[in-house]
Amino acid sequence: MEVATGPMTLRRIQEMLGASCITADPPLDLEALVGCASDLMSNVLAFGRPHAILLTGLTSPQTVRTAEVADCVAVCFAYGRQPPAETIELAEGSGIPLFVTPLTLYAASGRLYELGLPGCPEIE
Amino acid sequence: MCLSDIARELDLTVIYDGGDIDREITGGYATDLMSDAIAHAKAGDLWVTLQVHVNVVAVASMKDLGAVVLTQDRQPLPETLQKARDEGIPLLGSNLRAFDLIGRLYQLGIRGT
Amino acid sequence: MNRKETVNELQLLVYELDVESAMTKEVVTVSPDLAMDKLPKILKSNRITGVPVTEDGRLVGIISLEDYVRWAADDGKPSCVGDVMTRKVHTIYSDEPLVSAVSRLERFACGRLPVLDRTTDTLAGIVTKGDVIESMLGNLEIDYREEGLRTYRTSRFFEDIVSDSTELSFAYEIRGESISEGGEVASSLKKTLRRLGMHPDVVRRAAITVYEAEMNVIIYAKAGRVRVSIDQHHISMVVEDEGPGIPDLEQAMAPGFSTAPESVRELGFGAGMGLPNIKQCAESFEIESVVGEGTTLRVSFHMEEACA
Ligand SMILES: Nc1ncnc2c1ncn2[C@@H]1O[C@H](COP(=O)(O)OP(=O)(O)OP(=O)(O)O)[C@@H](O)[C@H]1O
Ligand SMILES: [Mg+2]
Repeated sequence: MEVATGPMTLRRIQEMLGASCITADPPLDLEALVGCASDLMSNVLAFGRPHAILLTGLTSPQTVRTAEVADCVAVCFAYGRQPPAETIELAEGSGIPLFVTPLTLYAASGRLYELGLPGCPEIE
Repeated sequence: MCLSDIARELDLTVIYDGGDIDREITGGYATDLMSDAIAHAKAGDLWVTLQVHVNVVAVASMKDLGAVVLTQDRQPLPETLQKARDEGIPLLGSNLRAFDLIGRLYQLGIRGT
Repeated sequence: MNRKETVNELQLLVYELDVESAMTKEVVTVSPDLAMDKLPKILKSNRITGVPVTEDGRLVGIISLEDYVRWAADDGKPSCVGDVMTRKVHTIYSDEPLVSAVSRLERFACGRLPVLDRTTDTLAGIVTKGDVIESMLGNLEIDYREEGLRTYRTSRFFEDIVSDSTELSFAYEIRGESISEGGEVASSLKKTLRRLGMHPDVVRRAAITVYEAEMNVIIYAKAGRVRVSIDQHHISMVVEDEGPGIPDLEQAMAPGFSTAPESVRELGFGAGMGLPNIKQCAESFEIESVVGEGTTLRVSFHMEEACA
């Protein structure tokens, strides 16, 4: 069975990952162009493409800073992990929507890939 | 699914076969943080990570993981490889990024929790 | 005519021509009540970098892109032009020789001089370095509009007649109390560059560079500073610290090499990708480090689409 690959709205991502949104007024019609799974911030920054959804287990404010600098469309935390207040505050300030999924980083990534969200296989 | 089949299907490089390349892989796990691996990885999991330092093998051995796959063509540090040999932990490599590698493993039926 | 002769002739001309012959007569002006956030659009659509502020034809101040940038970098609280403008304005009369304009532009390091009519004391025009050059070259019958020639001549003649100081610069302190505070410089620089209307790709690359450099300073050197300067074509940055220095630069530059301790890796850093990332993002890259003294990083970015 072939699945069409392409951008995915935050609404669909939220639904498919059973995620909750923890920032105010999430722009659910925005589209993620690619998926990026990483806990290492420099690796996210090296990821050559804007408008990625960042899947990560790291809930520190640095995740938001990184998403902001790397032009990510949103961040989704795995393991049902609630980020500290300062992370949420920073995200509200810089307009980065935050989601929390009960899935592991592995399962969340596998699921989105299976549903057709492309990755970025080539390493520049 | 057995490790050698996965390696063949996904074109993984076998850096060290762990003494038994046909062992059964029961699930998948991905993190770059040791604390997360300690907390959430399950015995028999294939662990996808970008970290190449020796603690990766230490944690894999402690948690009885099935194998470690290093993403983005990362090479293990010499002491990491040595530790893998000492502990019998298979070390593999992929040129893919984590999201893509996980996606393909998932499609092979290697699920996570 | 070789360049030296040209320069000599130019130097004669600046005494012969008057300001009126070089100034722009149709002047865009703004009112002191204009909201600051409306300013960039006006500057941009008129392709100017500063504008006189007038009240009933009377000159009350001047506001420039530079003022705007400082205002924007400093939080950009809602204000109007009258609160931010420079009140003390250097002016010139339309019947003065061009050389007075050149020396005043140079002495006061300003990009433009409002020109006043000596009899009525009202605003008659405005003169910039560009106007001076254009008028002189026009008089020499050099077709400066010819592509290629234009940029070359403009920049060279600037050096010859007046030293160009149309540069914006900002400085930021990096204080590394904890890793979780890192990224403030990158975030605020990114906002500033965005407000200046720079190309998103340049903004992204510049922000990634500062972020990586900032995190390195916080993690390895505790404190340092970033200086950013922007001219018409480049963003240049210097990031320096007085930290422990890097013993082997080649090793530090190798992707994957890191001395970050486990505690840092648990916070998402220490992949050994920071310096390689910077090198990838920047157009020019230089790093100097002395063990026990500190590290200095110099990078620059070419701007395709800067505002104004
Ligand atoms: N400002 C600095 N002062 C002292 N040492 C530094 C400095 N910047 C980098 N280094 C050294 O160079 C190494 C490589 O730096 P780089 O930024 O490439 O990777 P990292 O900081 O270890 O990991 P990452 O940037 O991926 O989080 C560092 O581990 C550190 O040893
Ligand atoms: Mg670094």
